[in-house]
Amino acid sequence: MKRLFTLPALVLWRAFFWTYERATWQYDLYVVAILAFVWLVPPAWLGDPLERGPGLIGWILGKLR
Amino acid sequence: MTFTGAIGAICGFPLRGIIRLSVKLGIHPNWLTLFGVLVNVIAAYLLGNAQFRWAGVLMILANIFDYIDGKVARERGLETPFGGFWDSVMDRFSDITLFIGLIYLYAHMMRVDYVIICALAMMFSVMTSYTRARAESIIEKCKVGFMERPERIVLFMIGAFTNRMAAVLWVILVLSIVTVADRIYFTWRETTHARRVEDLLRARLVKGA
Repeated sequence: MKRLFTLPALVLWRAFFWTYERATWQYDLYVVAILAFVWLVPPAWLGDPLERGPGLIGWILGKLR
Repeated sequence: MTFTGAIGAICGFPLRGIIRLSVKLGIHPNWLTLFGVLVNVIAAYLLGNAQFRWAGVLMILANIFDYIDGKVARERGLETPFGGFWDSVMDRFSDITLFIGLIYLYAHMMRVDYVIICALAMMFSVMTSYTRARAESIIEKCKVGFMERPERIVLFMIGAFTNRMAAVLWVILVLSIVTVADRIYFTWRETTHARRVEDLLRARLVKGA
């Protein structure tokens, strides 16, 4: 049970306290997560003053409605 | 090779040609640094006028100069302590100039929320550099935290070219705060010889197994 919480805590800590070099798989993972946030989150959710287009998540949600 | 490593290698190819050309033309690296700042000032003006694509093009140009100045200095044997200082100071000017362009834009649009987000992102971007510089005056190295200048600049370009500047500002703000926190924690740990959090977690993990 202890292990169940400690492992995610370790992963979260490593993501928060960043010590990895560029061009490592951890760096790639971070970059992908950032790009996903930037490109997929609908600009309206962030109150983007220059909002143009709904973004991928907004588009999918629009199709589902 | 990793995905980001491959992109770096692809971008590095034309840059090597530009470095060779600059060495051949005999341009002093300090002038390249200054030219990069001046191009960034124009990019900031364009950001302030919501001309993001053109601003993105100029940011690429400015950062080519910023990238090659150190390499040209090395190739020509012109590396000096002042050159490093000059480069570092001009980098801060470039960073702040781009943020001021965006602050002007959002102020003009009466968006106080994004003026504050931009101002905070600017503050923590400067603090990212300051914490490292100050830490390295008392400890050997303080290269921790994700959001350094190259990441910030690439994000600015992505925001400009894909019109996602709001999301980019949020990312820069949050990760700059985390980076400053990382550097403060790291310097505290190095100067007080406190136990590493990950060692404590690993010890728990081994005990729990």
